[in-house]
Amino acid sequence: MGWRIRVVHETGYRYAAPVHESYNEVRLTPRSDNRQNVIVSRVETVPPTRSYRYADYWGTTVTAFDLHAPHTELAVTATSVVETADALAPARSATWEELASEPIRDRFTETLEFTDYVVRNRDLSRAAKALKRGKDPADAVLAACRWVREHLTYQAGTTGVHTNAVEAWETRKGVCQDFAHLTLLLVREMGVPARYVSGYLLPRAETEIRQTVTGESHAWIEAWTGGWWGYDPTNDIEIGHRHVWVAVGRDYSDVPPLKGIYSGGTAAALDVSVDMTRLA
Amino acid sequence: MTDAHPGKIRPVTRAPERRRPEPAPTGDGSALFDGYLEPDRPYAGAFDEMFHADGRVRSHYRALHDAIAPTAAADLAVRSEALDRAYVDQGITFSLSGQERPFPLDIVPRVISAAEWSRLQKGIVQRVQALEAFLADIYGDAEIVRDEVLPRRLITSCEHYHRAAHGLNPPNGVRIHVAGIDLVRDEGGTFRVLEDNLRNPSGVSYVMENRRTMARVFPDLFSRQRVRAVGDYSTHLLRALRSAAAANEADPTVVVLTPGVFNSAYFEHSLLARQMGVELVEGRDLFCRDNVVYMRTTEGEQQVDVIYRRIDDEFLDPLQFNPRSVLGVAGVLNAARAGNVVIANAVGNGVGDDKLVYTYVPEMISYYLGEKPLLPNVDTFRCWLDDECAHVLDRLDELVLKPVEGSGGYGILFGPNASRTQLAAARKEIRADPRGWIAQPVVQLSTVPTKVDDRLVPRHVDLRPFAVNDGDGVFVLPGGLTRVALPKGSLVVNSSQGGGSKDTWVLAAQRSPEAERELGQRGLAVASPAGSPAAEHGPELTIGQQQQQQQQQGGDA
Repeated sequence: MGWRIRVVHETGYRYAAPVHESYNEVRLTPRSDNRQNVIVSRVETVPPTRSYRYADYWGTTVTAFDLHAPHTELAVTATSVVETADALAPARSATWEELASEPIRDRFTETLEFTDYVVRNRDLSRAAKALKRGKDPADAVLAACRWVREHLTYQAGTTGVHTNAVEAWETRKGVCQDFAHLTLLLVREMGVPARYVSGYLLPRAETEIRQTVTGESHAWIEAWTGGWWGYDPTNDIEIGHRHVWVAVGRDYSDVPPLKGIYSGGTAAALDVSVDMTRLA
Repeated sequence: MTDAHPGKIRPVTRAPERRRPEPAPTGDGSALFDGYLEPDRPYAGAFDEMFHADGRVRSHYRALHDAIAPTAAADLAVRSEALDRAYVDQGITFSLSGQERPFPLDIVPRVISAAEWSRLQKGIVQRVQALEAFLADIYGDAEIVRDEVLPRRLITSCEHYHRAAHGLNPPNGVRIHVAGIDLVRDEGGTFRVLEDNLRNPSGVSYVMENRRTMARVFPDLFSRQRVRAVGDYSTHLLRALRSAAAANEADPTVVVLTPGVFNSAYFEHSLLARQMGVELVEGRDLFCRDNVVYMRTTEGEQQVDVIYRRIDDEFLDPLQFNPRSVLGVAGVLNAARAGNVVIANAVGNGVGDDKLVYTYVPEMISYYLGEKPLLPNVDTFRCWLDDECAHVLDRLDELVLKPVEGSGGYGILFGPNASRTQLAAARKEIRADPRGWIAQPVVQLSTVPTKVDDRLVPRHVDLRPFAVNDGDGVFVLPGGLTRVALPKGSLVVNSSQGGGSKDTWVLAAQRSPEAERELGQRGLAVASPAGSPAAEHGPELTIGQQQQQQQQQGGDA
């Protein structure tokens, strides 16, 4: 049985000098699909703006807004209530032969290619081959997730937003973004289509109803082995009723939660806070 | 194509026989054409547009030939100087490796017969329509991919496939407001498409200025036959831009967005803006607020409905593309998505310029239009297909190797002229990135007499016609830009590679309305676009500028 979760995500910028013009896009709106139902979702800003919503290439709901009055702080609050579902078993219908076939490789070409974050690397390519040996595609993906979990230590502050998978692997440390990118690297190296998922995770498995906990903006992966299914390499868990997904893409650059440009003084990111409440 | 005719055409003085209906191959030469058809010329295989292989003058060139042939070399030199001076006086130059040079306009026009043009025009219209359907499809549901006519990988791997343009639907459906379809004429005289330019094809200002200058220096040439006018290009462009605006806008505001005076095509931007009677703006003159684009004017803000931008996609919107760009307008893409402004040409058109995509245009024509291509492509080997790649690697020394994103004559390797090390390096590059390369057999471009020193000699030419789509129909400007390779034997016609240009004459059909005629009975004034004196024209102009800029960006990426 799934949960009903309220997510309140606050983020933004503080500027050293008043900013007269700023243009922003936020990707903080969860989407409904077969395993998630979005009951309500809104994005608000301070100072208030007239926002414009559209669905981008990946289907993500984007909220765009611009500000023309001088301001020294921009706060964005995204509030959503989402019904989640229990974990989905990995799809196992595709064989290695099918994954290697031209129609499949062409259909999923974008989720098979390497990117600025998911960079090709000889050592990791060898690691992927070794992990793949003797397993069916779904098990190989799971093996990759576990391998990443074993080889990376979760540590905030060691990597930045622009760190790519190989750099994170070299330091053996990272955050969920790095875990996801490194997993994508291995899985794509195996020839399995894989994509980056951004969303939220309610951290405590035994959260009670009406209880609010501090959550975090989270990232995990989805692989296609006859159907799309997700796995969370950071925590080595399946995607279950504690996960709320917002966007998918080839890597982080397709799903940035907040991006913008402005004219004026230097900006510092506001403290990000994600409050998650289990409603049912 | 060997020549039965004696190598030299004897010079004769002006003779009345020239007027007789039957062509007179042997007696029809002049000092100017001395040695033109020498069998050992480096162009022997090429199709000459003025002369048949046996030395007879082709019928549509007859009037021109008869007018030029008796001219004394000295007289020609005087006229040619007048041409050069006209350009220098107007300040129309192009920059070659950073140096300002006068733009070389050749004195001998290139002539296209009415029947030939009618075929070309149909072929260009068909091509633009197919490419329009293609762009609308790949930035929408991509049915051509779903139906397995084209592989998805072909599109997603294009450098200029912009996912940010996905779902951005222009109100009247037009994405290719202006197209420049580059044509060459092969050894058999068949026009073939060399490449499509759907982003910001430049050079139309040359077409208009060439005509204006020719009409001033050679008014007598125009009196001999009916040449179709090119001066009304801006009228067609303005109509297309106005009809691109959202239907609710009764009187849309159109602007021309230029990167600024330092851009080598600034002259063209200012000329088009002036002829259309619209504002010429830079990025800093525009801003978006709540997804509406405004222009800062002395009378306050004015809403802009259509932006004819001459800035590349990558610099257009710092929010979506290069965040460091100061040339563009932040938020303009979302304004277009919201339907409040139209960007012309549309964002993401570069997919159609990709030379690998080019090889699939015949498939597009049959898929979207259910027709057979009227204009053939140049035969092309695709390095991303294994068997064709093997062929290319095998026979690289006979082929012309081109980067799929390259344009303006950059990055091209002529196999026959390349050294061993160059070929080896090229093979390595192909193996490293097969998607990035195509190869074509060396096409001996057609030749047209061109003044070099005090003689007329054959030089290779290509043709870039300009097509304007207003949503109801595609207008093709009669003629287009003929570029000529001035160095002997050169097949590279880009101005950036030492090329010049020619006025291009499309002859009016026998029964066409008089109004179409350039310099008809209405006199010289028809040819001159109404406008201010030439002294106001900007400094630089080069055909290859757009492509050069794009290629540099490609290098950065």
